[in-house]
Amino acid sequence: MTASPESASGVEPTAAGSGGSMPHRTWRGLRHFARRSPLSAFWGGVAVVIVAMAVAAPAIAPFDPLKSDFRRMQKPPDEINWFGSDQIGRDTLSRVIHGSRTSLTVAMSAVLLGTTLGCFWGLASGYLGGRFDIISQRLIEFVQAFPDLILAMAIAMALGSGTVTVIIAIAITRIPFGGRVIRSVVLSLKEMPFVEAARSVGASRTRIMLRHILPQCIAPFLILATTHLGVAIIIEASLGFLGVGIPPPAPTWGNMLADALNAGIVPPWWLVLFPGVAITITVLAFNLLGDGIRDMLDPRLRGSL
Amino acid sequence: MYSYIVRRFALGAITVLGVSVIVFLIMRVMPGDPLTAIFGPEGMTKLTEAQRLSYMKELGLADPLPVQYLNWLGDIARGELGRSFFRAESVGEMVLRRGPLTAQIAILSVILSWILGIPVAIVSALRPNTIADNTARITSITCLAVPGFWLGMLIVLGLLFWFGYRAPQTAAGASIFEEPWTLFQMIIGPAVVLALGQAAYIARMARSSLLEVIREDYVRTARAKGLNARLVVRIHALPNALLPVITLSGILLGFVLAGSIPVERAFGTPGLGYAMYTAVNERDIFVMQNLVFLYAVVFVMLNILVDIIIAWLDPRIRYQ
Repeated sequence: MTASPESASGVEPTAAGSGGSMPHRTWRGLRHFARRSPLSAFWGGVAVVIVAMAVAAPAIAPFDPLKSDFRRMQKPPDEINWFGSDQIGRDTLSRVIHGSRTSLTVAMSAVLLGTTLGCFWGLASGYLGGRFDIISQRLIEFVQAFPDLILAMAIAMALGSGTVTVIIAIAITRIPFGGRVIRSVVLSLKEMPFVEAARSVGASRTRIMLRHILPQCIAPFLILATTHLGVAIIIEASLGFLGVGIPPPAPTWGNMLADALNAGIVPPWWLVLFPGVAITITVLAFNLLGDGIRDMLDPRLRGSL
Repeated sequence: MYSYIVRRFALGAITVLGVSVIVFLIMRVMPGDPLTAIFGPEGMTKLTEAQRLSYMKELGLADPLPVQYLNWLGDIARGELGRSFFRAESVGEMVLRRGPLTAQIAILSVILSWILGIPVAIVSALRPNTIADNTARITSITCLAVPGFWLGMLIVLGLLFWFGYRAPQTAAGASIFEEPWTLFQMIIGPAVVLALGQAAYIARMARSSLLEVIREDYVRTARAKGLNARLVVRIHALPNALLPVITLSGILLGFVLAGSIPVERAFGTPGLGYAMYTAVNERDIFVMQNLVFLYAVVFVMLNILVDIIIAWLDPRIRYQ
């Protein structure tokens, strides 16, 4: 590792030390990131493109993703439908583009929700300790006894289908990770002199947790959130594929693959290939971006997340 | 060693109990009404109040929740895993019929993941930051990003398209002794797909673990006394480096159990994962409740087994 000790200790010191105006500082940070890990920077760029595609989906997609064209059913890729069309004549390219919207919305909301809840839980159980901590650890252990996808399936089924349901189901599977990591960070922070100083001037426990310890958890929080995006996207696609995701006809990548399998004994190759490529590229982009962010913000966490 | 095993099982029993509470909470207490799950929101509005009550009674849903929970635990203790809402077969019979296929897929995939992952890790660790190491790294990152069920669909499609081949899928499964070739064709596809994801994690973990071990004093001593480099790795470095990999392999079993659901769906393999897919689609909450519980218990038990194996191999853990 070539990182200097200051940059290894978290975001705050480097950001405060570099000075300059806000855009200038951001630009310099990005350039630094690109030089440190070119691979991550490249895939980070891909991730930005995917996010832009999701935001601008209605403007980019050549057709309405829900509209059937009965004159062009199950056509292989040609100059009109670049990625072909499905059994009821919907344009695959448009559905893949719109699919990025659903996938990213669900994955990002779920990861943010789950990691935030886990973060506060870990903060409380790490700082308060005692009986609350013991019970929390047990609870987290119980939740982690379920493989992610199975837990998400059960919750999604119990709550009934819908976008919010899927978000909640995936978010719950992310809570233990946030809880565990933040708790261990808090356990080491709690012994720091600045916490002792705050305690000795009479700050309340809530104030110490929220004003003094929480800001130090931002780096691990960001790392957790980005590294778990890829997994969340795969879980969302799997739920859609298994029929407990966002209900059709919503164009999600998982639903498209499920539709392809239901299309007949031999699914047309273009209906299988493109949604899967979209999932793979998106997950790859977010995973590598996450790795890069982790290495830059806190190399010590390598392997533990 | 015995006290360790006893302690580990006692902790495991507590976890299993906690798991049962969570499964019950998800299936019964969460806002969704079990009858809505079975009949669907439209079907619900068609039921009269009397019909609703009689269904609730018939399914044992009319009792207070704690009573329902204890009844369920009693059923499990007696080995009765309940009955499907839509099929004659009981869940217990279904598990016995379909379980072996999924278990064989899981075992084969774990074996394959070691066969694929460990050699890659050795090459990467002995020559870090070379072309071979970087290729291995990029391959493993890609393997982690590819959804297994999609890869499965591509494999099925590709084999059919280019070779006109389709793996046999008999509902009854195939015995390993009577029709080993049929069985092999049924399980090899899902096993390979599930192995790739695991192998990526294993290669990554084994590489960093080997890199650490290679710097240890005893490895240097072995080299200094003139032992052949290959033997140093095989006899001194590798056995120690593989301990964390065994633990990881246990954790990855959760990945296999869960992953086999969409992967079996993609291949059309009639295993337990496919049964789970059917149950979730038919909103068959009783089958789902028992299968989810069973999967979690199997996962917990396998991890206890892995911990015991580790303790047996590594005295430092045994005497903690």
